[in-house]
Amino acid sequence: METETATIRVARYRPEKSEKPYFQEYKVPYRKDTVVLDALNQVKAEQDGTLAYRWSCRMGVCGSCGANVNGVPKLTCATFLHEFKGKSLTIEPLANFPVIKDLVVNIDDFMEKLLKVKPWIIRDKQSPPEEGEYKQSGKELDRYAQFSSCINCLLCYAACPIYGLNEDFLGPAATALAYRYIADSRDQGKKARFPIVHDLEGVWECTLIGECSVVCPKGVDPMLAIQKTKILGAMEAPKTMLSPEALKAILPRGGE
Amino acid sequence: MSTKKTHYPEIPRKNLGPGWWLANRHYTVYMIRELTSFFVTAFSLIYIYQVYRLASNPGTYSQYLDTVRNPAMISFSIVALGFTLFHSVTWFYLIGKIQPIKIGRKKTSPLLALGINTVFLVIISFAVLQLFIVGK
Amino acid sequence: MSKMSTVARFHALLWGVFSLGGFIAAFFLPILIYINNIAYPLGLWPVTSQDPTRLLVINQTVSTLFVFAAVGGSLFHGIFRLSATLAELGLKKQEAKITALGYAIIAVGLLALGYYLWVLSPNIIPGLAPPWSK
Repeated sequence: METETATIRVARYRPEKSEKPYFQEYKVPYRKDTVVLDALNQVKAEQDGTLAYRWSCRMGVCGSCGANVNGVPKLTCATFLHEFKGKSLTIEPLANFPVIKDLVVNIDDFMEKLLKVKPWIIRDKQSPPEEGEYKQSGKELDRYAQFSSCINCLLCYAACPIYGLNEDFLGPAATALAYRYIADSRDQGKKARFPIVHDLEGVWECTLIGECSVVCPKGVDPMLAIQKTKILGAMEAPKTMLSPEALKAILPRGGE
Repeated sequence: MSTKKTHYPEIPRKNLGPGWWLANRHYTVYMIRELTSFFVTAFSLIYIYQVYRLASNPGTYSQYLDTVRNPAMISFSIVALGFTLFHSVTWFYLIGKIQPIKIGRKKTSPLLALGINTVFLVIISFAVLQLFIVGK
Repeated sequence: MSKMSTVARFHALLWGVFSLGGFIAAFFLPILIYINNIAYPLGLWPVTSQDPTRLLVINQTVSTLFVFAAVGGSLFHGIFRLSATLAELGLKKQEAKITALGYAIIAVGLLALGYYLWVLSPNIIPGLAPPWSK
């Protein structure tokens, strides 16, 4: 295969050396099958061992290598260099997150939110193993299967302007995962998750920009999950508002 | 392993500025879509005002109609019609994305939902004209 | 009983009304703007001697209900969305005030609309005429 050379501009931040972030250019050889991650690996191995970035599987399933490539959140292992032939190529850390070093961002905010939505099957009562597995039809699986494809790569958070404007927003991936469990027929945890997703900083902040679903590398479509959660909430709200508890709270003096 | 850990400052996350929607085409189209709400609100208020004028000030109502005939008002209305139709079209497409209808094993595409709802829009608009306006 | 907070429950309901308003604005508002503010002043089809508003709301039942639904629904939808959009355009800090003002406008607007439409078509509520009706 022919080898060409590309110049990549990489955002650097080395707080142990200096307070200010800066850009550094590297010339990297590439072929038709070279991806941005390959270029970063080449730089680190042969040009500048101080470059810091996350990666693992290099095949689009671990979610580690997210970065902003020419302003667009992408997996560096899934972005080919030849697409940028004749154009400049700038690699920056994933947007909307604090930067620890170079391309490494602090994702604690998401990890907290992920725990909050309780991404596991919640049962009122666990069936004993002797009763066998929880059966699920193909149709029931279809209701949530696409949302279980999420690899937590956080490209959606980098793309979402609502999250960019408001750090408290629950965000696309966390809501998609909440919905993945709410929609799972084996799960009985709707009550447990509703306060988190139906918070004012939860689904109600979303205004259907849809960029999350555009950048998602796994076809999760978090925008759809958020809308379905909104619809569930809108259907649930009148029920609880007419409940004896709610009426007691609204009527003066506890309904006397 | 050293137990002393030096903590270096992170670059804190910065909230987006008010011009964020100019950064790419998707965001800009989104903002135009949301700004249709300005025209929807404006004409709702205009019509409430018009009904108020007709009901409480029939003597000066013809003055209001002069405003309707004003070329600036007509131009604004044409622009508003454009934005309102953009709302309709984008709304139908979004509904098509959120609630596809299952026909057998296939799901309807958003473009199909857009097409079908646009046909409804045309039918309803003609019905309104025929039932209430034409021939009167 | 799911433990959505009271505010979130209200918001969910209001969002439902906003969604309904979105359909209403999408289907009904364009034709209203066309007849009243484009066809009528420019003499385009369907040409009417009277302004279309008079045809729609004076002593009419069906078209009055149509106007109430169309204008009321559009008002709710428009203000709900406009408040959210203003917050996204840099007015996030004033979001609570803008939302409160928005709901106030909706309330006053719907009341005014309902009242004046009733004045113009008093028989719409059989047996009950509005006070000070013409």
